[in-house]
Amino acid sequence: MSLVSVQGMSVVYEPKGALPVPAVRNVSFDLEQGDFVGLVGESGSGKSTLGFALTGLSKPPARVSAGSIFFDGVDIAGMTPSQLRVQRHGGFAMVLQSGMNALNPVRSIRDHFFDIFAAHGHVSKRDREARAVELVGKVELPASVLDRFSGELSGGMRQRVSIALALSLEPRLMVFDEPTTALDVLVQHAVMDTIRELQRSEKFTAVLISHDLGMVLEVTERVMVMHDGLIVEDALAAEILAAPQHPYTRMLLSHYGDPRAAVVEVPGLAARGGRRAAVVEPVETPSVVEPVETPAVVEPVETPAVVEPVETPVETPVETHPPAVRKREGRAAREAIVVTNVSKIYQRPSRGEQPVCAVNNVSFTLEPGASMALVGASGSGKSTIAKLITGVERPTSGSITFGDLQIDTIKRRQLKRLHTEVQMVFQDPYAALNPLHTVEYILTRPILNFSKLRGRAARHRMLELLETVGLTPVEQFAARLPHQLSGGQRQRVVIARALASDPQVIIADEPVSMLDVSLRAGVLALLDSLRETWGVSMLYITHDLLSARLVTDQIMVLNSGAVVEEGATADVLQNPQDEYTIRLLEAIPHPTVGGLVDS
Amino acid sequence: MRYTLSKIGLLLLTLWAAVTLNFLLPRLMPGSPADAAIAKLAQNGPVSPSTRAAIEAQLGVPTGSAWNQYVEYLNNVVHFDFGVSYTFFPQSVASLVGTALPWTLVLVGFVTIVAFIFGTLLGVLAAWKRGSWLDTLPTVGGTFASAFPYFWTALLLLFFLGYVAGWFPTSGAYSSSATPELSVPFLLDALYHSILPATTILITSLGGWILGMRSTMINTLGDDYVTFAEANGLHPRTVAIRYAARNAILPNLTSFGLALGGVVGGSLLVERVFSYPGVGYLLYTAVVNQDFPLMQALFLIITISVLLANFIVDILYGILDPRTRR
Repeated sequence: MSLVSVQGMSVVYEPKGALPVPAVRNVSFDLEQGDFVGLVGESGSGKSTLGFALTGLSKPPARVSAGSIFFDGVDIAGMTPSQLRVQRHGGFAMVLQSGMNALNPVRSIRDHFFDIFAAHGHVSKRDREARAVELVGKVELPASVLDRFSGELSGGMRQRVSIALALSLEPRLMVFDEPTTALDVLVQHAVMDTIRELQRSEKFTAVLISHDLGMVLEVTERVMVMHDGLIVEDALAAEILAAPQHPYTRMLLSHYGDPRAAVVEVPGLAARGGRRAAVVEPVETPSVVEPVETPAVVEPVETPAVVEPVETPVETPVETHPPAVRKREGRAAREAIVVTNVSKIYQRPSRGEQPVCAVNNVSFTLEPGASMALVGASGSGKSTIAKLITGVERPTSGSITFGDLQIDTIKRRQLKRLHTEVQMVFQDPYAALNPLHTVEYILTRPILNFSKLRGRAARHRMLELLETVGLTPVEQFAARLPHQLSGGQRQRVVIARALASDPQVIIADEPVSMLDVSLRAGVLALLDSLRETWGVSMLYITHDLLSARLVTDQIMVLNSGAVVEEGATADVLQNPQDEYTIRLLEAIPHPTVGGLVDS
Repeated sequence: MRYTLSKIGLLLLTLWAAVTLNFLLPRLMPGSPADAAIAKLAQNGPVSPSTRAAIEAQLGVPTGSAWNQYVEYLNNVVHFDFGVSYTFFPQSVASLVGTALPWTLVLVGFVTIVAFIFGTLLGVLAAWKRGSWLDTLPTVGGTFASAFPYFWTALLLLFFLGYVAGWFPTSGAYSSSATPELSVPFLLDALYHSILPATTILITSLGGWILGMRSTMINTLGDDYVTFAEANGLHPRTVAIRYAARNAILPNLTSFGLALGGVVGGSLLVERVFSYPGVGYLLYTAVVNQDFPLMQALFLIITISVLLANFIVDILYGILDPRTRR
């Protein structure tokens, strides 16, 4: 008999005062004892909802509306909460996506374990301490962690504690809901390894829910692909890799690539061989850039004799996207951002602690029209560099110049000039847009701020921007509120807003990390095309080496604030020299390798 | 430990600042109590210099340098010597405040703490049983009751329960026949007299605590650690109290500190309506009669009570939230 047998199950969301929405539709599958199964899908596919239903955690407004979930022969779909509670010991456990917040901040880790032991009474009072030590040992944590509070632990440690807690139930089924998504690349890899080892040694049945097909193929034996509430494909990992049946699976797979390959391609983005690196004339490695060189680079190439904005009649059908209308009359020619020996040291708020060196003696030049990737794990200082360049923070030492603007000592009133030319695209499109304003308002604000356009001209410009980022029909999108847009559409609005001042430089801080795989390519392609048609230079900050390979020509790898490796993107990724770069590359899931080895 | 020590240091510093300001402010103000008294007399005709001298001598016009005055003042404050009251001459201010303070502390302080505990518990229950009658009744009732100004509630209670029904005394803290002493009959008498004012404060402040706790608790119920605790099969009561409520109470502690600080100073209206011999009533009398020594001492007491309440809440935070201890 199968450990878990799901038959014709549906889950529906019934929000008060709104129409019910089906989240999971009529799914059926079996899980055998000791299986390691992946459940893959993009956001909104219903994969987490299914995971919650499997562990009896569906809460209003979600409700299992049909079908049954047999766990060890007993239907848990119709159980009351108190019946379910008893089932959890030796039954099913769940590790949540945001392990960061899964621990009670005011209870020690020991109390968390003891609470579970007390609730199920399966560990006698005498053995509790020893059992807790044993459990944290299983997730490779020292016993001292029991005295700590969650606020004192790192993200990876917290997620390990969550796994140990779930394990303390001695479950036969463990559901991992995106267990590593919130973690840093290298930590992700380590936590995943722990999960794999535990699954082998403890022999529980595991379901790994993830948006990352690559990772799931690497670690699991069997994969279920979910799309729009349906399981569209359910096959062995090796089979999916060799011959994906469903078009959706094929689409997901097509977005994987090895950044080390000679030619990297994903749908919607041009092929990247050594071509890119060759096209851009070999710029000297940034660390040796001398400030003297900069003026030579700044040639008045741009003659911005483009269409007068006011003149352009609204009714003129704008030519196919993107209408590269530059509004640069009377503005400076294109200039490079020159960063010379910049360091940033943060003093810790409480005394007695060491100051943190976030950026350590970094130098580079972002040439006009160039695209450079800034790569590193979190805490490597890449976002701090973005703050320094945009004048949000001041460097402790070193200089940053943009044309005649000295950014490291910039005055408040000069900031506006800087921000006319240097704009940011933020990581989280859900947080970067004020939910109370329409797209029109969001885009018109910077137009009024940074240009002299008013009234109809400003509105025309706003529509033009929407056209540029491919949000058509523009009139419709202009009237929408952020919550009426998908993640990818929101990120396009964020990009359009950055373009409103017609900047020379765009600093994109992880612009696609919050987006689904299928949307990423589109946004990346947009950024890339802006560079080609508008000549905007781009500083692309990311931890994702594949996307760095796709849209940048040059790369700098940061580790603990210092540049450990730099050069042409294709060269560096194909021929990494530094050990840290190699580790980053190895942390990327390789479905081709892992999936086949495992099966 | 370092946390507690730093909080004690902060308390001492602010206490000193409060005491010093209490010394400085009256001296920075134009005029003097003697001028005020003379101005009153002057309405009935000219005031002779000898009258003036007599008044100044009676009120005790300060002599010596400002520094000497300050040192003497600090010395007096340390020995609880705030001078003699004008209104209740020749009683000392210290003895007046000493008699009034216990009444206020016991009545208002105790009721404030009870309201906080009771309201918080009701709020927890309302959030935990969201949508049931346990939620609706306290929420709606609390909103309704706290919408009244409390002197209005006080008057209603006085009129119906005190005057019309005659169940409770309408004024004072104890029967006029009784003498304050630590005996069972007297304490019962005092308790009986305190029921109406206590009920007034309870009714009007309970709603705020219920609503505040309910809303923070609903937030924490949606937090991941609550879901995770449920996923681990913890007992529902453990989840509600130790996981959800334990975190939800933290933001409400700040409001509790403010309420506690307002106990001494904020009881003026209640004590006035019920003629309750507490600090509020005393302050009212002092202001009406321009009793400057009494006012100054009362202001100082009110300031100190706010500081102490904040200190207590800071320490509570340290105990309840490990994150503040770091």
